Amino acid sequence: MKLEELKDLADYAIGQARSAGASYAEARIHGASGNESLLKNGEPEPAVLVESFGIGVRVLAKGALGFSATNSLDRRSVKQLTVGTVKMAKSAGALLKKPLVFDASKPVKKKWKAEEKQKIEGGDVKWLGSLLREIDGRLTIEEVGVKLPGRFLTAEASLEEKYYVNSDGARVESRVPRVHFFGILTALENGETAQRMIQQGESGGLEVVERLDLVKRVEREAKTLGEVLRKATKPPEGTIDVVLSPELSGIAAHESVGHPQEADRILGREGAQAGESYLKRDSLGLKIGSTEANVSDDPTLLNSNGFSPVDDEGVEGKKRRLIQDGYIREFLQNRSTAAELEVTSNGASRSVAFNREPIIRMSNTFVEPGEYTLDEILKEVKLGVYFSSFTEWNIDDKRLNQRYVGLEAYLVEGGELKGLVKAPVLEITTPKLWGSVKARSRRMEFEAATCGKGDPMQGIPVWTGGPDTLLSGIKLGSR
Amino acid sequence: MGALNELAVSTAKKLGVDDAVALTSQGNERMVRFANNSLTVTKYTKETALYVYLGKDRRRIVAATSNPDESSVRTFVKKLFDSLQSLPKGSDYASLPEKARHYKPREEGYDRKIEAVGTELSELAGEAIESARKNGGERSAGALVASVTASSILTSSGTSGRDRGASITLNIRSFSQNDASGHGLSCASKLSGFDPVEAGKRAGENAKKMVDAKEPEAGEYEVLMSPTVASNLVDLIGGFSSAFSVEAGISYLVDKLGKKVASESFSLSDHGRMNGALDGRVFDDEGIPTRTTPIIRDGVLENYLHNLTTAKKSGKVSTGNAGTISPHPWNLEVGRGDSSYDEMVKSMKRGVILTSNWYTRFKNYRTGEFSTVPRDGAYLVEDGRITQGLKGLRVSDSLERIFSSTRLISKNREWIEWWEVDTPTLCPWVLVDGVKITRAYE
Repeated sequence: MKLEELKDLADYAIGQARSAGASYAEARIHGASGNESLLKNGEPEPAVLVESFGIGVRVLAKGALGFSATNSLDRRSVKQLTVGTVKMAKSAGALLKKPLVFDASKPVKKKWKAEEKQKIEGGDVKWLGSLLREIDGRLTIEEVGVKLPGRFLTAEASLEEKYYVNSDGARVESRVPRVHFFGILTALENGETAQRMIQQGESGGLEVVERLDLVKRVEREAKTLGEVLRKATKPPEGTIDVVLSPELSGIAAHESVGHPQEADRILGREGAQAGESYLKRDSLGLKIGSTEANVSDDPTLLNSNGFSPVDDEGVEGKKRRLIQDGYIREFLQNRSTAAELEVTSNGASRSVAFNREPIIRMSNTFVEPGEYTLDEILKEVKLGVYFSSFTEWNIDDKRLNQRYVGLEAYLVEGGELKGLVKAPVLEITTPKLWGSVKARSRRMEFEAATCGKGDPMQGIPVWTGGPDTLLSGIKLGSR
Repeated sequence: MGALNELAVSTAKKLGVDDAVALTSQGNERMVRFANNSLTVTKYTKETALYVYLGKDRRRIVAATSNPDESSVRTFVKKLFDSLQSLPKGSDYASLPEKARHYKPREEGYDRKIEAVGTELSELAGEAIESARKNGGERSAGALVASVTASSILTSSGTSGRDRGASITLNIRSFSQNDASGHGLSCASKLSGFDPVEAGKRAGENAKKMVDAKEPEAGEYEVLMSPTVASNLVDLIGGFSSAFSVEAGISYLVDKLGKKVASESFSLSDHGRMNGALDGRVFDDEGIPTRTTPIIRDGVLENYLHNLTTAKKSGKVSTGNAGTISPHPWNLEVGRGDSSYDEMVKSMKRGVILTSNWYTRFKNYRTGEFSTVPRDGAYLVEDGRITQGLKGLRVSDSLERIFSSTRLISKNREWIEWWEVDTPTLCPWVLVDGVKITRAYE
């Protein structure tokens, strides 16, 4: 199925919705296709092919929002769906206490695509399977130094195509190829196990595999698991310094800055699912961290997993300074939250598939880089722990009480990295974490993640990242 | 649906496959979401999907298309076949059974009234919100979903059949002063069993009781898990009992068949077909009849969940749990206990009651060490009496230790399916000894 053949259906849906009485209408033809290979302990699982095209229609009628979707892509079905959506929205009756309005964001007319050097279509299941076997081959060699009885690896090459129109004049066409790798390695030594989940992904063509250096990266993770099992000792107790690697800086930025600054959570829309926020509608300007606390979300980063320079409401995406010099500076907005909060949307509305409504999402959320090297930061630490990677993590639904359990983590003593420590636990409130930031390194790294939100659930590709981040005066626990 | 399956399987057979399965599903889902006591969005989705499995010369491939029509299915299957032939041979291959089976849709348990629910969803949501408000929930958020599915299967060995299912669920969360919150659910396979007023009442009552909640001391507590909390953990056990998870080493149940993994009072079964269940089918994705499979009986791990391939590898028979790739549970049931809720609370010396939780994450799937974050109503119990609402706590433990330290299980059970519980689970209240509770450092 080709996007080009379906464009007129989207325009047709808008016309039908307006005729049925919608004050606003949008339609999105949204296609996803992909190939995936899976390898379990060296054995191929069934290869997977997916093809999906459908239309999602969203309307405002009598101040109520209605969303419908179908993959029956003929005019009769689309008319039935669209007219039904308007009728359903109008039927809200007494349940609608406050009519919804959208802001006056400038509608974008644009055709955009993610950079792609080697066409994603070349990533067939044979090619993906070969990649996985090459990776797995490096996990069973003697040099890895540890037995890995559990090796589950997947690789996916996918293409997301969209055509979006709305009754305000937006018309956006996009093409985003992505390469995604996921693996779970289980290492076993003397009856003890250690486990590492690895997720890597970028927008782009097949060149992404080389950029990610997947084969070496996964082998290095496997070796580390052996080291953790053999050498890790109890972490220090008491109040010490903690240095977060880019991986830890990124997850903290995502969980305790990005999520609580989603305006739909702040206004209560996700209250029964992903929850609300410790921040309120008047929290802009609140001091939440030290002057070194600087966190942003940027959908325009080239090659990023969350690349989305125009959002799914037809609004131009831009970099958002979430925390600047310790102050809450900006929320993530869509057109309805922006209207409610009397600002302009910053283009953060995304949908993962034709059958999902666009909602406020992060794109690539990260701690801004500083001016030091990692060595310079470590030199500042008399006694501390360097968290290089993590396993278990979670946070409460207001985004105040979070926990990250270290996997590869090192004692830092007298300004130098020492031996591995076992499962240090950083369990900390959001103001304490961001209030403790003392320094940031220059180097920036990003990890791929799939962020879950919405009802029905939408797992959306994002990046999390940042530099090494020094936190001082932290009470550390252990598992 | 049958014509699409016929076309897919006949095309595959002409191409020379050893095994082929075509499974078509049609789903209709209506949803009303609300927040701050007001509608946020109404949703309707109508979808058809075709899943095709092909096997030949120990090569396997599966595919899904959401745009199946007679003109495209042949091309789709040919493309799939070409991809199949490019794959290396695997050592794990199980042929479909030669004997053909024919399935009829379940008559009992399917409520046509759910098909017809439309604009009444807004009224039902309004009843829940009003009930919450009357009981102390100043503002409520939630989702009410009515869903209907129909499935049809055909295999290359002639197995064919149809089935259908329907359910209606409400997830409501109410808020009161000081960000206090409470949670309520109503999950039913029949409209007559759906009770939005009771769900709203629970959410409102819990929100009201949490207004003066305080942070607890970290330490070990007796923990009484509501059906909502217990089913979140039980759902995970269901996933870990999949032979696929066991083979991949991402399950704490590896090498535990026949061994004690829970206290004697704890039993867990999976049901492919069960009256009153919210999900399930009479056949699985390989055309094998679904059934009841005891996973844990009286604390002992009795079975993993299998598809044809995992069963062949381990010398077992399929339990009728095949999914697209991995075996999965259909509906989970925790065995009934003999305690009442009041008896359980009275038996607690120093404990915590948890009514809802979220964000359960594992340090290591192989060991089952995890933590989860309680939310909404959480209460301190001292000498058999609730004395205080609790907030800012976290459970940090392991699945095996928790279910091996289960002391009491309630007689009453509830069906649970919501944002944090994917597999519908019939679950009681569960009282556990010595659960580690932690909290964040300031």
